[in-house]
Amino acid sequence: MRNRIKNILSFKDLEIGFTSGKLRHALLPPLNGSAGKGELIAVIGKNGIGKSTLLRTFSGLQARLAGELTIDGKSIAEYSRVKLSEKIGYISTEIIKVSNMKVYDLVSLGRFPHTNWLGRIDKVDHIVISEAINKTGMSEFMDRPITELSDGERQRAMVAMVLAQDAGVMIMDEPTAYLDISSKFEIIQLMHELTRSREKTVIFSTHDLTTALNQADKIWLLKEQGVFEGAPEDLMLEGSFNTLFDDKKVQFNSNDGSFTIRNDEKGKVIVIGEGAKKYWTEKALLRAGYAVVNSGSTVEVKVPSPENSNWNCRTHGSCRECDSIYELVNWIRDNNFIF
Amino acid sequence: MMSREKQQALTSHHSPTRSGMIFSGLFLMLILFFILDLFLGSVSIRPGEIIRAIFNNSDDTTRTILTQFRLPKAVTALFVGIALSISGLQMQTLFRNPMAGPYVLGLSSGASLGVAFVILGFSADLSPESIKGFGNWAIAAASWTGAGLVMLLIMIISSRVKNIMTVLILGIMLSSAISAIVSIMQYFSNETMLKAYIIWTMGSLGNLTASQLNVMMLSVLAGVILSLISVKMLNAMLLGEDYARSIGLDVSKSRFVIIAGTSILAGTITAFCGPIGFIGIAVPHLARIIFRTSDHKILIPGTILAGAIIMLASDIIAQMPGSDNVLPVNSITALIGIPVVVWVILRDQKYRDIF
Repeated sequence: MRNRIKNILSFKDLEIGFTSGKLRHALLPPLNGSAGKGELIAVIGKNGIGKSTLLRTFSGLQARLAGELTIDGKSIAEYSRVKLSEKIGYISTEIIKVSNMKVYDLVSLGRFPHTNWLGRIDKVDHIVISEAINKTGMSEFMDRPITELSDGERQRAMVAMVLAQDAGVMIMDEPTAYLDISSKFEIIQLMHELTRSREKTVIFSTHDLTTALNQADKIWLLKEQGVFEGAPEDLMLEGSFNTLFDDKKVQFNSNDGSFTIRNDEKGKVIVIGEGAKKYWTEKALLRAGYAVVNSGSTVEVKVPSPENSNWNCRTHGSCRECDSIYELVNWIRDNNFIF
Repeated sequence: MMSREKQQALTSHHSPTRSGMIFSGLFLMLILFFILDLFLGSVSIRPGEIIRAIFNNSDDTTRTILTQFRLPKAVTALFVGIALSISGLQMQTLFRNPMAGPYVLGLSSGASLGVAFVILGFSADLSPESIKGFGNWAIAAASWTGAGLVMLLIMIISSRVKNIMTVLILGIMLSSAISAIVSIMQYFSNETMLKAYIIWTMGSLGNLTASQLNVMMLSVLAGVILSLISVKMLNAMLLGEDYARSIGLDVSKSRFVIIAGTSILAGTITAFCGPIGFIGIAVPHLARIIFRTSDHKILIPGTILAGAIIMLASDIIAQMPGSDNVLPVNSITALIGIPVVVWVILRDQKYRDIF
């Protein structure tokens, strides 16, 4: 695999953290990993584990404590600030609020490493800027002040700025943090597209595991023991996610990569039926703290079928027809059956 | 479809004509106000006489008033306006704080401390009236150092405190502390030194000797050149430290250049004209309103023109044309600047944390 995909960024025994005075505080044990050209890589881990520090170290905003960090074949130490910016673009969670700055102005700042001492935008720069704006779907907002953009629009404008910078690697610290669901998908979609069509490498941190598992080519999972690297599916099969969160409270479902909050089990319920109605009924029961089993319970729920439009719940002595899942779950809960 | 979008992007991109027209308008206003400043004063001189005095090489009173008093004063006003406005703009961008300015954040106090050290600490011989050439440069250098040190201190404060109002209050504290130190120095200095210092603090636009004017013009010119070199850096700094670095800015080098330029500009003016308030903080905002941009390629020349015009206007008002009274120019600039500052505070409620 190493031979087929060209590594644009790789790190060996990399230690990240901060120094205060002579004290050196490493956040994690030495890390190893690599990012190939055109890959979409998700960085995952608990709050405070060092995701941002890792991304800032890649961007050269924070010095590495030890180890090697190679970007496009050269050690990061060999790059000047401006040369590094031609290789790596960075978007943090910080919101830029500058009055009178228009989207075009913001994006044109991405041309910083390419313009002359005065920062003059020439024809080539202008074409690159316009392309970046179009690519991110911001062409109608070009003359809009950045302070008047919505969170999603602002994030797209930031992506446009980094696109105009024309760096091979884009690093984004929680790019979907403030966004509503549709803006979130737009940004993910955009990141995905960039890695496919423009041969960009996008490295982003996120707390949204489902998105990361579905979209990323590779995952860097940060845990106290170090970084676990691999395709989402590899990590899933290796069971790396199982210990990501506190086992007692959160349960990882290795079939679909979802997490559920572990509740104290109140009892067992048999669900009979098929299709979407069965799926959602089970889900509701799970949330309410009941285990769904195939046998060995006295409580049995029949989900609506062509013959019956209601939920039919039977137990020893009683029987109840409910016309919604809500009513069903409440009824089971209220009666406090002994299972 | 794509190509049409691109074309649209090409055509609707920035209208250089609008900025161009404003620049021409401001430039004409600048010339107008400069001439008005020559014409209007305590002694009223008819325009015809002024023109005659300029072209006639005779030694009459009108010519003396013009070349010895009004012209140096108008030139001083011009340079004061330019220098204070640019230093304010640079500070606002560097600290990402709309309330920053050489006066409010204590740069002027720092410069006075530098001057106090030279005049009160060493010798009255270094006062402006004494050794003509050297004394002036010594005073200028002392005020640059004082202003520069205050800049560094504010820089350190700003890196720890993100709230602009807190930075502002700390700036006021700093100014008061510096004034206190200067008072103590005054208390312990002898009479000649004290007199030299007091005369300096009363400085105004009209008291500059020819050699002082030269030192001031050269220093301001150096500051303006530094500010032109800083244009690209200032634009990047609008984004804050992290983004500025990630797009390729050498932040420490840029800070050094910007702090040096700002200290030279604000320090020089304080050294020769005393503390003049609210021009530095207000003019950059006026330029932003007029040009509706955050681009320093436009804002630097814009503040140069606007600052010069406002300072000339303040000087004209301070002369109270036709009357024998002269108002302190400081009061005029405060009355012009404070409403702008108040307006900015009220408007920017939303964006209080960062610029």
